[in-house]
Amino acid sequence: MVEMGGGGTALATFTLYVCGVLALAWFANRLLKRRSFLSEYFLGGRSLGVWAFALTFAATSASGGSFTGFPSKIYSHGWVLALWIGSYMVVPICLMGLLGKRFNQVARKSGAITVPDVFRDRFESPAFGLLATGLIVFFMAFNLIAQFKAGSLILQTLLAGTASFHGLAADLGSAVGGGAMGLSSGVDPEYLLCLLVFGTIVIVYTVYGGFHAVVWTDVMQGIVMVSGVMIMLPLALHQAGGLESVTKQMGAMTPPRLGVAAIEWSSPSERERIVAAGSWGWLDGDPNTGRLLRVARSAVLSPGDTRVAGVRVVELTTPGQIDRVAFDRATNWLPIGTRLTRAQVRPYAYGDGVEGTYVSGPGPSASDPQGFLPLSLAFSFFVMWAIAGTGQPGNYVRLMAFRDSRTLRHSIATVTIYYSLIYFPLILIFCCARVLLPGMEAESDRIMPAMVIFLTENAGLAWLGGLVVAAPFAAVMSTVDSFLLMISSALVRDIYQHNLRPDADEVRIRRFSYAATLVVGVAAVIGAVDPPRFLQDIIVYTGSGLAACFLGPTVFALYWPRVNTVGAMSGMIAGFGAHLAMYIAGAFVNGSFFRPVRIFDLDPILVGLTVSFAAIWLVTRWTARPPPDLVHRYFLAGTGTTTQTSAQ
Amino acid sequence: MRHPDQERDADPNWDSTFLNTRREALIIFAVWVATLLWAVPFSYLHGYDTGAVIDTVWGIPSWVFWGIATPWVAASVFALWFSLRGMADDDLGSTPDDEDG
Repeated sequence: MVEMGGGGTALATFTLYVCGVLALAWFANRLLKRRSFLSEYFLGGRSLGVWAFALTFAATSASGGSFTGFPSKIYSHGWVLALWIGSYMVVPICLMGLLGKRFNQVARKSGAITVPDVFRDRFESPAFGLLATGLIVFFMAFNLIAQFKAGSLILQTLLAGTASFHGLAADLGSAVGGGAMGLSSGVDPEYLLCLLVFGTIVIVYTVYGGFHAVVWTDVMQGIVMVSGVMIMLPLALHQAGGLESVTKQMGAMTPPRLGVAAIEWSSPSERERIVAAGSWGWLDGDPNTGRLLRVARSAVLSPGDTRVAGVRVVELTTPGQIDRVAFDRATNWLPIGTRLTRAQVRPYAYGDGVEGTYVSGPGPSASDPQGFLPLSLAFSFFVMWAIAGTGQPGNYVRLMAFRDSRTLRHSIATVTIYYSLIYFPLILIFCCARVLLPGMEAESDRIMPAMVIFLTENAGLAWLGGLVVAAPFAAVMSTVDSFLLMISSALVRDIYQHNLRPDADEVRIRRFSYAATLVVGVAAVIGAVDPPRFLQDIIVYTGSGLAACFLGPTVFALYWPRVNTVGAMSGMIAGFGAHLAMYIAGAFVNGSFFRPVRIFDLDPILVGLTVSFAAIWLVTRWTARPPPDLVHRYFLAGTGTTTQTSAQ
Repeated sequence: MRHPDQERDADPNWDSTFLNTRREALIIFAVWVATLLWAVPFSYLHGYDTGAVIDTVWGIPSWVFWGIATPWVAASVFALWFSLRGMADDDLGSTPDDEDG
């Protein structure tokens, strides 16, 4: 198999991409000098046209999960991911059409710049604004740290084949190891270097350019993302021998076995030795055992030792895959004089030894005896992507920023086509990856960049690797910048301006906005130094938690004149509490916070949404009607700042 | 003054954008329900525990082709038509002058 790493050419292409991002930030900053600062910095003056709105919406919604977690899951579980992601067929029209036009109208009527502004003004309740601010900061902060980690890991894979990168990382490692940065020596210096580079790029352009920079870079990143997928698709299908062949081979696959083994050297060494992740070896060095293992984490042998125990390995169980690796001249074998011994591997909880498990539901699972996607979860995810996705405050900000109804309508059409060009092709590409890159189950988070580099190098297009691997990097970046700006806007607008210094002039607000964005960004980088585990779990928890809090209050605030402040606030708190309770119960019942309790096997988001909607309806019915002037302002014609015109 | 809820039928002054967006939201929600009822049961009935040998259409497992890809195309065609022809071009209004205040 091909060694990962993009090399200098890929790095140069990627550097050009970053320069483009920074140039856009510089242009965006020039706009800030012309108009009202807060509206421009945090909302782009509500002036987004079709392409800007469509691509910033699509790029922000896509997130790192789409280009790291999703490919990883396709690789790990096979064709059943088509059902897992199935509701993306209606995600664009749901996310933009269910609330978009009305949310934009209400935000204009109230003059809201931030999402908490909308709730504060719609209900004339500063307490509601603060509650929304607190929840956004709570969830977004966790998500931001997870996204920083994702971006850093992608960059690390891209730079893995670059000598100057390793040298620089080694220097940084020495500084860290010496305590020069006040960090523990356990931090991976290559990861740390990538985190610093990624963090610096995102923070600089977001702080400097504000919302316009975020939108323009999103547009560029959106183009890079779809281009990356469109380039990868034919390369993957061609190199894997066509889709028919891929599906047939997947039908014959059985899940691998994951576990640990020892690596033994024939003689001790006076210097440190490393066996790189991705190396292959026969158990006990003997092909006659028929047991082929892949080293999933690099192993380091200390001077004087001859054995490293506890090395994570993956053992292939499909004869066709074993032959493919064994007879591939590009396979990266263990160094001579080294062998894998004492393997302790465990079978998958579902699908072990069963052919066809990668082409049918519920899909193989290493840990769940019900399989990856039992019917209840398939239903849950159909709700989660399309309906819970509608309740994401990160999307609300975009919905406040488009110019007019025509922009929204054309953007829905654009994003519908855009998502169709990304998500279904991703399934095809990473089904091909199962055939082309066997044995990566233990490091499947890296499958996207690994596949990019494999495909482009095999095709003799290494220079393209930098551009294509920028696709997942762009997806993470476009999400991080939006979350960063959202947290800082909550601090500036909803806490500082509304509650601490209502009389602050524009110069002071401008300085505070820059400072808040910078501080939030730096704090997130520091939080990601010791990288949190469970990247995808954190993203799922925060995304579904935000929906449980915000979707109910938003729907009722926009479409039900009868709803009152106490009802809507009750729904937000009840949604938060019910969703969190499932996770806390999971910590006690299942032993991990990220293995929540599932009532009737349904995802906690369904519990959160049900409780939230029910709480709003019941509490509103039991309490007083809202003030008539508030209802008139937001629901009757000829009030507020909106004028009624003809409908198409 | 009666509350707007009580005078819905009598009061012709509901904001047209409110009425249009609510109608459009209900239609979109119905489309989501329709895709849910197509994709999930079909995929479950035809795509779960099928064994190693499965039918394919253009290299795609047939349960994915008919249960996911086909409704995906249908939903996309509807979304294009609805967004370009079915949704109203409502005036969203302007913002108060003193946004920063």
